[in-house]
Amino acid sequence: MLAQKRVEPGTKVHMRFWVPNVGKWGLRLGLFLYCTFPLYWMVVSSIKSSTELFAYPPTWVPHTISFTAYEKLFKETDFWTYFVNSVVISGTATLIVIILGTLAAYSLTRYRYGGRKKIAKFLLLAYMFPPIILIVPLFIFANSAGLTNSRLGVSLSYISFSLPYAIWILRAFFQSLPVEIEHAAWIDGATRMQGLFYIVMPLALPGIIATSIFTFIVAWNDFLFASVLISIDHLKTLPVGINDLFHRAVVDWGLIMAAGVMVTIPAVIFFVAVQRYLIQGWGAGGVKE
Amino acid sequence: MPTVSWAGLKNYYFLLKDARFWNSFYLATVYTLASTALQIVLGIAGALILHAQFRGRDFLRGIALFPYMVPTIIAIFTWRWLMNDMYGVIPYALNVLHIPGMPDAWLSRNTIMYVLILLSVWTFFPFVCVNVLARLQTISPRLFEAAKVDGASAIQQFIYITLPELRNVLLIVILLRGIWMFTKFDVPWLLGFGAGSGEGIRTLPVYTYQWAFAFKQAGMGAALSNIVFGLTLAGVTIYFIAFPRGDEE
Repeated sequence: MLAQKRVEPGTKVHMRFWVPNVGKWGLRLGLFLYCTFPLYWMVVSSIKSSTELFAYPPTWVPHTISFTAYEKLFKETDFWTYFVNSVVISGTATLIVIILGTLAAYSLTRYRYGGRKKIAKFLLLAYMFPPIILIVPLFIFANSAGLTNSRLGVSLSYISFSLPYAIWILRAFFQSLPVEIEHAAWIDGATRMQGLFYIVMPLALPGIIATSIFTFIVAWNDFLFASVLISIDHLKTLPVGINDLFHRAVVDWGLIMAAGVMVTIPAVIFFVAVQRYLIQGWGAGGVKE
Repeated sequence: MPTVSWAGLKNYYFLLKDARFWNSFYLATVYTLASTALQIVLGIAGALILHAQFRGRDFLRGIALFPYMVPTIIAIFTWRWLMNDMYGVIPYALNVLHIPGMPDAWLSRNTIMYVLILLSVWTFFPFVCVNVLARLQTISPRLFEAAKVDGASAIQQFIYITLPELRNVLLIVILLRGIWMFTKFDVPWLLGFGAGSGEGIRTLPVYTYQWAFAFKQAGMGAALSNIVFGLTLAGVTIYFIAFPRGDEE
């Protein structure tokens, strides 16, 4: 990647190898630090004692480790309630998006009817619709439909703006799967639904996983819809609940950092486990081999 | 239900004359251009770094996606803490390194935009990185080998081979990030309005939210939403005229 240095007579040969390599590894280390340092700081801040947290100059590695922030988080706030709400809402939304998305993608790729391509392009347009544009009418609608202050209402709103992207990605995946395999199954007596369930879906698994990750994360992280649609405290999701921590009389940074760690860990673990599929899934949406 | 009355185009006339509206339009534009450009640059750089073969490459690829996976609100709080004027470790480090011209209080009205851009770039550059990387992996290495045989330097290879191959992916990614940055609500809102000094980053989406849900004027909120929508649509149209896609699909 870096330009090769021309070797002058007399130069030690290993210079040509050594310098570009240091540069490359320096870049890799730089990328690593850039991506992880804020997270490191968050974790470290959550286990520092209060006095050390506000020490100046700040300490890079904690001298003493204290878990009081976490104790406070679980005993004095409604953290678990928010956590459960987030899980339920995000999980429901993801599940429904996968079911509907798979069926829609299957329909768009395996059946023939007019307007298929138009629908696909329309999906892309729907995906680009930013939430802030939808929120005012959506709120008015949810209000009159009685869906405010309900976990179902929030779930439905997440489904409404995750589904287009899900269908788009799944459609790209299904398109790349040869139909012949299903035809072979039909010849052997399978029904369409069996073909979909036992053949297409397992083959499209990377795309399905990528889609569910994306949908789950969008739902898990959302703040706008959750805060607008829900005002009852025990139904709030994590992002809203944690933001409330900032509005107490005294901002407890240790507590906030602890909350941050607790919210990030599931996302990170979940993600590390399926990371391979994510890159594959994203790649398939825009690249043809 | 709130009282509803017909206002015609009154809301729009009001906004046309509203200084805060034009200010929020300006802030949204600055935010969009700066953060999108930096995300693209960093994303491409990251993709190039992650493209080569080396031990631990898959691990680093996972790490590179971390910022995107972190929930937005967590990223915002963490950066607020990092940039805290009294206890933040980044102002401290800048101080120790004697970097000139750094503001005293990053989160005050005049400079909070820099923090907003900084944290947005950190959070969203992986999106660019992953998409560019996926495309990089499908470029045939023979193109590069042929170029090297002809004596092209690494930089020339990048400009004349890599970039053109990336053109379509970049067009889409720039468009998407541009739209999303322009219409982003939660990042500027949570950074600036969780605790004061928000006027420095009162972008259009934030202003929309304030009218709709803080001042409780649905009509004004809807008018602003329509304006945001119209501007976004206009931007997309201009974009497609200026950069027609060599259609791959």
